[in-house]
Amino acid sequence: MPAKKVIETKNLSRVFKNGEIEVHALTDINMIIEQGEFVAIMGASGSGKSTLLHIIGCLDRATSGEYELDGVLVNSLNKNQLADVRNQKIGFIFQSYNLLSRTTALENVELPLIYDRTGQFTNAEELAKKALEQVGLANRIYHKTNELSGGQQQRVAIARALVNNPALILADEPTGNLDSKASIEIADLFVQLNNKGKTIVMITHEPEIAQFAKRMIYLRDGQIISDQLIENRSNKEFALKELEKPSTP
Amino acid sequence: MKRFFKIFKVAFRSINKNRTRSLLTMLGIIIGVGAVIMTISAGEGATLQVQNQISGLGTNLLMIQTKTEHKAGINVRMGRPIDKKDLDILQKNAVWMPKISPLVAIGAQAIGPNGYKSTTVYGVSFDYFFITSRAIELGEFFTEDDVKTAKKYCVIGATIREELFPGQDPIGRQIRIDKVPFTVVGLLTKEGSGGMGQDMDDIIVAPYTTIQNRLYGHQRGYNLIMASALSEDHIADAEIEAIELLRESHKINPDDEDDFDITTQIELQEITGNITGILTILLGAVASISLIVGGIGIMNIMLVSVTERTREIGTRLAIGARESDILSQFLIEAVVLSLVGGTIGVVFGFIGNQIIYKATGFFIPTAGYSILIGFGFSALVGVAFGYFPARKAAKLNPIDALRYE
Ligand SMILES: Nc1ncnc2c1ncn2[C@@H]1O[C@H](COP(=O)(O)OP(=O)(O)OP(=O)(O)O)[C@@H](O)[C@H]1O
Ligand SMILES: [Mg+2]
Repeated sequence: MPAKKVIETKNLSRVFKNGEIEVHALTDINMIIEQGEFVAIMGASGSGKSTLLHIIGCLDRATSGEYELDGVLVNSLNKNQLADVRNQKIGFIFQSYNLLSRTTALENVELPLIYDRTGQFTNAEELAKKALEQVGLANRIYHKTNELSGGQQQRVAIARALVNNPALILADEPTGNLDSKASIEIADLFVQLNNKGKTIVMITHEPEIAQFAKRMIYLRDGQIISDQLIENRSNKEFALKELEKPSTP
Repeated sequence: MKRFFKIFKVAFRSINKNRTRSLLTMLGIIIGVGAVIMTISAGEGATLQVQNQISGLGTNLLMIQTKTEHKAGINVRMGRPIDKKDLDILQKNAVWMPKISPLVAIGAQAIGPNGYKSTTVYGVSFDYFFITSRAIELGEFFTEDDVKTAKKYCVIGATIREELFPGQDPIGRQIRIDKVPFTVVGLLTKEGSGGMGQDMDDIIVAPYTTIQNRLYGHQRGYNLIMASALSEDHIADAEIEAIELLRESHKINPDDEDDFDITTQIELQEITGNITGILTILLGAVASISLIVGGIGIMNIMLVSVTERTREIGTRLAIGARESDILSQFLIEAVVLSLVGGTIGVVFGFIGNQIIYKATGFFIPTAGYSILIGFGFSALVGVAFGYFPARKAAKLNPIDALRYE
């Protein structure tokens, strides 16, 4: 049975125009990501990783090319439809968590369901609690965000991305603000979610985190320069052990 | 509807999250609505008091005066004085005016055994007491016969009694009004001071004949003639009748204008109603300015809040909020802030009115419509001044908003 395509782009390009200056942030991106994949996107700063993720996440539009998400041709959607796609099909995770301050974990996780227009989530609180359980925060449900560590906050953000059961989880440097150990924990959490069938696309600068994924896409100057499966995937035990080794002289 | 409720909850939470700021935001509206309610109510209170006073002036009252014209700040008498001849014609022929009294008023010094007082002395006939519906507390009124024979009798108000006969029975006692001795035959029931600073108890009432003979030189004219129409419905008839009789008495050609003025109680009420109405509107308008200032306060703080919460807005957009959701959220926040502020303002206005009443005795009915105006205005202010910041929030580009530091 061929796996379902979640993402398919054809000659996707994004050009930013600032007056006279044109920045070609993405040029002719062609890629297919299937259901159940765990893709790491790497590349130097300014190579277009975030721009690509924004377009995939329907926060931004391509200047040219086609983009199909979970069978929907995104190019033809209007603003409200894009918002609804984000609400129904995508879970976002950001480097700086972007949680509501002084608000409980539970309320933060419920947030996407407020904007649900399909009416399928009648039991928001229950779903939010379940999502928090999945990320290992069952005992922090009523803690406010400012009472949580960085790693825990990122878990809340992941729970928020999971709560509406999206087709795709997008993470832009989710471990960028965390120390190595917490980063490994988060990466491991992604692996667990992926094992349960979630499709994940994650931007990262850290090779050891990228190594948790199944596939790696490398960008340079807005173009894909390599796209390959990861052969010896990392895991939590291995990565933690590596951490304890003294750095090689 | 359900989502509206959810978004309402979101708005309410963020108001609750920043309680101090929310309260400060509301302050302008609280003061504005409080001021609107207090000023409108004060205007209403003044109207009520003036109306009460006018109806206290007499029953179905008509006042006939010589025509005066306002020239360079002075009232100049234009027509023939109203005099005995006019009075006789009215008394003989009037059908719609059963009670008629002339009135001559002089300022005079009243001297009693224990004190003296400058006051106003009204020379009237017996009908005056009926027309002005004044009652007697002690003693009795002087009679129509006393008027005919120009007896040196007088009836005094409560204020005069306090000054001249403190704690004593004034009936049968002698007083001097500008050196002329009078016997006090009655004490008027206390009327209370009028809101225009006129003390209705600081008066002495005596037969007009006596006043004219003894105190007013030998002038024939009266200050005015007061009359009481048969009933409220007949005030207009009485006015027409008085005009006809007086034109005849003054021998005015059909083409010429009246040389006298007739003011009825209804006209008085209308005039003062207009004046106090304008006053109320004016006061309300001034108070509304403070509401607008309050609205600008809301707008300022909402704008700051939008900037401060740029990332929150970006996050909400990223997880699937539509522009309209963000717009609603901020608009609801503004409207809730101003409505809650409005409610507190209404309570403050009401309390303020009570305090003024307790402190000054000036009764201010908290006008029902002033509460509606206060509420309506504050909701309007919330929408009007909340819209701009809310739109600004909704139009944010999600990517820029997420990146905002
Ligand atoms: N709104 C914009 N206007 C103009 N240029 C932009 C805009 N957003 C991004 N760019 C440009 O597009 C290019 C790609 O930016 P992008 O943010 O995708 O890089 P990135 O790979 O995510 O980098 P980093 O690893 O530092 O996050 C950069 O050259 C950047 O300057
Ligand atoms: Mg980036």
